[in-house]
Amino acid sequence: MTFSLLHATDFADRLLYKIIPPLKAGMIVLADRYAYTAFARDATRGVDTQWLRELYSFAVRPDLSLYFRVPIDVSLDRLMARRVKLKFYEAGLDLGWSTNPVESFRLFQGKVLDEYDRIAKEYGLEVIDACGSITQQQRLVRSLVARHVGTNPAEVNLVGDEA
Amino acid sequence: MSAPDPAETTNGANGGIQAGRYYGRGIPYLPIDGYPGRLIAIEGTDGVGRSTQIQLLREWLEVKGYGVIETGWTRSPLMQPTIELAKASNTLNKLTFVLLYATDFADRLEKEIIPALKAGFVVLSDRYIFTALARAGVRGVDRSWLRSLYGFAIAPHMVFYLNIDVKTLIGRVLEARGMDFWESGMDLKTGDDIYDSFKSYQGKLLREYSSMSDEFHFRVIDARRPIEYIQEDLRRQVAAFLEPPDRPTAE
Repeated sequence: MTFSLLHATDFADRLLYKIIPPLKAGMIVLADRYAYTAFARDATRGVDTQWLRELYSFAVRPDLSLYFRVPIDVSLDRLMARRVKLKFYEAGLDLGWSTNPVESFRLFQGKVLDEYDRIAKEYGLEVIDACGSITQQQRLVRSLVARHVGTNPAEVNLVGDEA
Repeated sequence: MSAPDPAETTNGANGGIQAGRYYGRGIPYLPIDGYPGRLIAIEGTDGVGRSTQIQLLREWLEVKGYGVIETGWTRSPLMQPTIELAKASNTLNKLTFVLLYATDFADRLEKEIIPALKAGFVVLSDRYIFTALARAGVRGVDRSWLRSLYGFAIAPHMVFYLNIDVKTLIGRVLEARGMDFWESGMDLKTGDDIYDSFKSYQGKLLREYSSMSDEFHFRVIDARRPIEYIQEDLRRQVAAFLEPPDRPTAE
């Protein structure tokens, strides 16, 4: 619960200082992760899913949400190839499911991915197959984004008034 | 939530069917049903005399042989430094304020209150979620959102509300230690005068507390009386709850 609430506090702070002001100014805000991350991660830790949705009801609903989807093995391979040390909480080691960081990561993030699939359906996230090449993914991203913003900046719809 | 079993209902002396259970969605990974401890909350605004009463109540309970622990607002080791820092830095807004307090409460709930209830302690809580609800309510935070946020809180077995009027409160606070920035609601920027701000802010807080009285089954205690009278009142009600007449008391 404290893990979840601390992240919500951090999110609220960023929402009010970094997200809402530029939206009011008519700018485009790119958010690397959003409330959906919390829904997936905290639910996997056993926090009530309905409570989480009510908690985050102060968040602005994005105009477009992209979900980059990869199978757990691809995710692990990529991290291992970069020889990164798996982070304690990212690997879900706090849950005590396994003392082996890689095994724990597979178990924890596997469940997080299942949760993401449910969320993608519930909130209509655009799913992007993140196993494809970067160029392929970027082309898809651009075409999806183009539907929401004009190519000419002057055509961008102002969303500030409703924020 | 499942229907409360009849035994628990009669135990809930505050007339509420939920005493000792979660108010709302709860914490799924921490089931608390059937824990033997008792949670008693002492609520009331700043300077009303809560700490004095709790200290006296604690001594009395311990002499009677109860295991007692105290918990108080913003006292969690995890959050206290962060909250002090955030208060000092002027970057807090009403939303982050509410969430920091909720995090502090969640930490104490998981680490202090629930383990103590499990072990059969009497938990005396110096303030409870009602202070958070009142402060945030006065600051215009959505009331139904606040209630669902605190849906992970446990409904106390007894909630005592130390009731006072603003005029008496002002006299007491000035005699004791003077008016403080936050207790005067200076962050609401209603004016530069701390006395006027205190008076209007505390007035609003008191109205907010009273408006919750029925909803959360407050046992209202007249806090304008001398310390001994208030204490006697508390002890009588606590004794009646912890040691029902059909059971021989320790006295």
